Amino acid sequence: MRRPPRSVRLAATVAVLATLFAACSSGGNDKAKDQQGSTTGAAKQGGVFRLGIVEPTAIDPYNSQESEGILVTKELFTGLVQIDNATAQIKPGVADKWSHNNDCTEWTFNLHPGTTFSNGEPVDANAFIRGMTRAAKQSAASDVAYHMAGIAGYNDIHGTGDANSKATATTFSGLSAPDANTLQVKLSAADCEFDKKTLQPVMSPVPASAGEASNKAFNDMPIGNGPFKMKEPWHHDQSITLVRNDSYFGDKAHLDEVDLTIQPSQDALEAEYKGLQSGQYDYARIPPALIPQAKTVYEPKGGFVHKLSYGINYLLVNVVNPPLNKADARKAISLAIDRQAIIDGVFSGLQTKATSIIPPPLKDFYTANVCDTCDKPDVTKAKQLAAGAGLTPGTKVSLAFNTGGGHEAWVQAVQQQLEKNLGLKVDLQPSPFAELLTKEKANNASGLFRAAWSADYPSAENFLFPLLSQKSLPPGDNRGRYVNKQFDDLLAQARTTADESQRASLIKQAEKIAIGDDMALIPMWYRDQYRAFDSAKWTGVDIDFFENPTLASISLK
Amino acid sequence: MGRYVVRRLLQMVLVLFGASIILFVSLFVLPGDPIGTAAGERSRDPAVRAVLEKRYDLDKPLPVQYLHYVGRVVRGDFGESYRLRRPVSAYLRTRFGATARLALGAIVLEILIGMTAGVVAAVLRYSFWDVLVTLTTTLAIGVPTYVGGSILQGIFAQKFHIFPRQGGSGSWNLRYLFLPALTLASVDAALVARLMRGTMLESLRADYVRTAVAKGLSKRVVILKHVMRNSVIPVITYVGIAFGGLLGGALITETIFNWPGIGLALYTAISTQDNPVIIAVVTYGVGAFVIVNLIVDLTYAYLDPRIRLE
Amino acid sequence: MTDTPPLIDEAAPPKDAVPAAAFGIRGQTQFGDIRRRFFRNKLAVIGLTMVGLVFLLAVFAPLVAPDDPQAQNLSLTARPPSAAHWFGTDELGRDQLSRVIYGSRIAIVVGLASIVLALVLGVILGSIAGYRGGKADSVIMRTADAFFAFPLLIGAILIILVTGRGVVPVILSIGIFTWAVPARLLRSSILSVREAEYVEAARSLGASKWRIVTRHVLPNSLAPVLVYGMVSVGTAIVAETALSFLGVGVKPNVADWGNMISAGRAFFGFKDYLWEIPSLAVVFTVLGFVFVGDGLRDALDPRLR
Repeated sequence: MRRPPRSVRLAATVAVLATLFAACSSGGNDKAKDQQGSTTGAAKQGGVFRLGIVEPTAIDPYNSQESEGILVTKELFTGLVQIDNATAQIKPGVADKWSHNNDCTEWTFNLHPGTTFSNGEPVDANAFIRGMTRAAKQSAASDVAYHMAGIAGYNDIHGTGDANSKATATTFSGLSAPDANTLQVKLSAADCEFDKKTLQPVMSPVPASAGEASNKAFNDMPIGNGPFKMKEPWHHDQSITLVRNDSYFGDKAHLDEVDLTIQPSQDALEAEYKGLQSGQYDYARIPPALIPQAKTVYEPKGGFVHKLSYGINYLLVNVVNPPLNKADARKAISLAIDRQAIIDGVFSGLQTKATSIIPPPLKDFYTANVCDTCDKPDVTKAKQLAAGAGLTPGTKVSLAFNTGGGHEAWVQAVQQQLEKNLGLKVDLQPSPFAELLTKEKANNASGLFRAAWSADYPSAENFLFPLLSQKSLPPGDNRGRYVNKQFDDLLAQARTTADESQRASLIKQAEKIAIGDDMALIPMWYRDQYRAFDSAKWTGVDIDFFENPTLASISLK
Repeated sequence: MGRYVVRRLLQMVLVLFGASIILFVSLFVLPGDPIGTAAGERSRDPAVRAVLEKRYDLDKPLPVQYLHYVGRVVRGDFGESYRLRRPVSAYLRTRFGATARLALGAIVLEILIGMTAGVVAAVLRYSFWDVLVTLTTTLAIGVPTYVGGSILQGIFAQKFHIFPRQGGSGSWNLRYLFLPALTLASVDAALVARLMRGTMLESLRADYVRTAVAKGLSKRVVILKHVMRNSVIPVITYVGIAFGGLLGGALITETIFNWPGIGLALYTAISTQDNPVIIAVVTYGVGAFVIVNLIVDLTYAYLDPRIRLE
Repeated sequence: MTDTPPLIDEAAPPKDAVPAAAFGIRGQTQFGDIRRRFFRNKLAVIGLTMVGLVFLLAVFAPLVAPDDPQAQNLSLTARPPSAAHWFGTDELGRDQLSRVIYGSRIAIVVGLASIVLALVLGVILGSIAGYRGGKADSVIMRTADAFFAFPLLIGAILIILVTGRGVVPVILSIGIFTWAVPARLLRSSILSVREAEYVEAARSLGASKWRIVTRHVLPNSLAPVLVYGMVSVGTAIVAETALSFLGVGVKPNVADWGNMISAGRAFFGFKDYLWEIPSLAVVFTVLGFVFVGDGLRDALDPRLR
């Protein structure tokens, strides 16, 4: 019998090899073995919950900044307060109760006695002082220390960036511990919402073994007092694995383990969602284009979560340089944009158009339609306002946005609406993110910039102050360079007002000035968050304040 | 030969220096403030920015920065990534490993598929196989990688679940490696096939082949022993060059398959103006290619004495 | 090498190629030969038709396209092909058919311009290197090495980050990172032709260097470069779409196949026509150029048929 020709033999070898490749099982998908939880009790114990995240900048509380980092840090550490997911109110964390003096310049936190870190060290007032000092030190170069800027002595330990200032202090003078379980905080200026600020991970307690912020061992495997602890050090670009902390002082978690697979930041949403679909993950974010499809697939099974989060998508406007330096010009722009049409066409109706800067979840502070040009477009009125403000047809307006965020589509829709309705010449300027920020801060910046903001803590002031106050001008985040003394006075007053409802009315007045009268920013839509998860296996899945999954309450079905 | 090698190595060092200087200068020219932003769309605290500026030598004039940089590189320290605040060398080492595995996988597939197809097409000229190879190779060149890769992914990973869609953390795990390697290999395999076919056709016509056949040697033996060996040289050259290029990172393939390699690291670094990473990766990429090129040239000269080394 | 198909087809022309000029005495006969051989090749003719079709679409786009490629319709976004929109609508409700037709303009312009740039640079530098040899040769070849090594996409991204996005930066970037290959090709071609007998003959007859270069050396060395150029237009078009795919190509609202594929990728798996149709356009055009290039190569060197 003739041997098959060489080429055929080669081809056969290739085919066999290919089949072998396929047959090799990696076991990667089989990792989540169902574990038998207890049959008694409210929630089953056990289970390994898997999801995908993007590589965080840091999980050590001294520098944990974006949602991925905060996700891990908040499971590893519990601070003075926590947030109740359902009511959006602050509730006790390690601090059982707290109080402030009459003018909100001194706060006293009474800690729950006897709680420990997962390595046995005590969680006392000194642990908090240690954590906050460590992050505030100048050498730490922490990007989140600024949340503590209101505490007395901050500038001495952190520095101000001025060539002349020397951050010589090694202790944080505003912090003190009159006794082991009492933490006293002196502020350099009154702040009646300081307790909310302590929600930030940077104000977590750390054990003595943490050392300085530069301690790489602790950076990669922080030891905390939260419902979970690290199983092993952070495998950069690969994975982070958490296991339940059975010595947690509060409501213990149900899951045995959480596997966070780190994936490249390109197409992260798509990778997560496809991972969920193929069984690699139990939970995922959803790429915007696929949300309608995800809804029809996961909602009937109860595996679809939708929540409005504490954020806002808006167009930043430079209010100092022409052509949009007049309020009427900005209002004309806002009236010329048909937000609902864009939401329906580009987002399949799944976003909520914004008529304010403070979003609805902040119930007591939210005013619907404080932006009276946001609800419906009105081309005639827009043209009138534009003409009056010198925004004549043919005027060149730039619309800058960051690439890689999926904004190309709606930005083009805005461009066409402005060109059609107002006759403007809109110059689209895509650029990488860092460059966009530079453009915004430039002295000759003008026109519109795509922007978004997510709250750091559940306070309306956290929207108005960083974005619109005079104290937040660049190098701060008020990159539109809006300044209004009346607005600033109202904010300052609100800070020193202890009574919630009085504060709310001051805030609302402030927003009316900045947005209603001056249109300092152009709200577009709020932040609707959508997630999908494997509801056949899991229950208790929700989104928390930081837009992360509520890992501590998830359990097997 | 020895002098030639030394000369080429010196030239390589020059090229590397030149490339890194050009890079340094052009990154300086780029608009944007690489250390002005923190994650999550926030401006950086000016106090922190001041500390980082000092730490990264950014307050010094450019030539001084470059000298410091070279001094550190010689000691193996490529600085710290602005974005990750971690040492670049550790970060890139893992990424490089992942890309190297991908490149090796691709080369193996290229050689196997490409040479087989080329030989088949040349030996069975004008047959159905020849035409099939020609059409397939042309298609492989014409279909963009991101389309071809997405299609492969769609069919074999999503529809039929033969292979996983993504991930694999860049390891040797063949299940994760196969689709991206195949995507990466497809274009080069096509070119290898065409090249192989061309050189074989040329050799088949050569006098010595006709003589050998006339002397009574079977065509099969002639092909295997003589024709293929002589035809392989340009192919090896090409594959060598391709490998050097692959080491530079297959950006699109890594994007589609979430393969944690150098290409993706570079793209992210460029988008976030993470200059230390950019410089390190590009210089390494150029260096890798030039070295591979040199090896290929030397091998070529060694194999074929007719080639003069100028 | 890397993801963009390397703009190289053959490593070098066959070493003992006898230039056609050695046979032909009168230019016209030689040309006619080539032309006849080309048109006898069925694939080449098909390729020429394909390329011609794309060319015509590009030139007559306003007449052929049914709609304004920029006209959005937010109430008709991402609709599948229908009677009103033969190729469906994209994510902003624009007519895909019109955008595909207008996209051919960018493809042809970028493809041709970038390769012309690369060829001009490559021919000039390659002939200097090949003919003069020595130091000039070393310098040029090592520079070519560096450019050759540099991944096209990365280099293009860097250039475009500095210059901004647009058609001209894309053309420049592709051209700048492609000249190395024709330079190499031309140089090795010149090296082999330089020693040929008829050049010796011309020199001994007293012909000046300039005459030798332009009349004898260049025409015969250019053949592989031209073939390469033709095939590479196709791969340059692919490179341009890759740049758009990565978000550094022409501006996002321009009707461009790369932009369309990139936007359509978000809908992969459930609205595939959004990326399938522009991909087909790319493949169609590239195939056309490859067939023509192959045909040209076979016609110029009949020994390989």
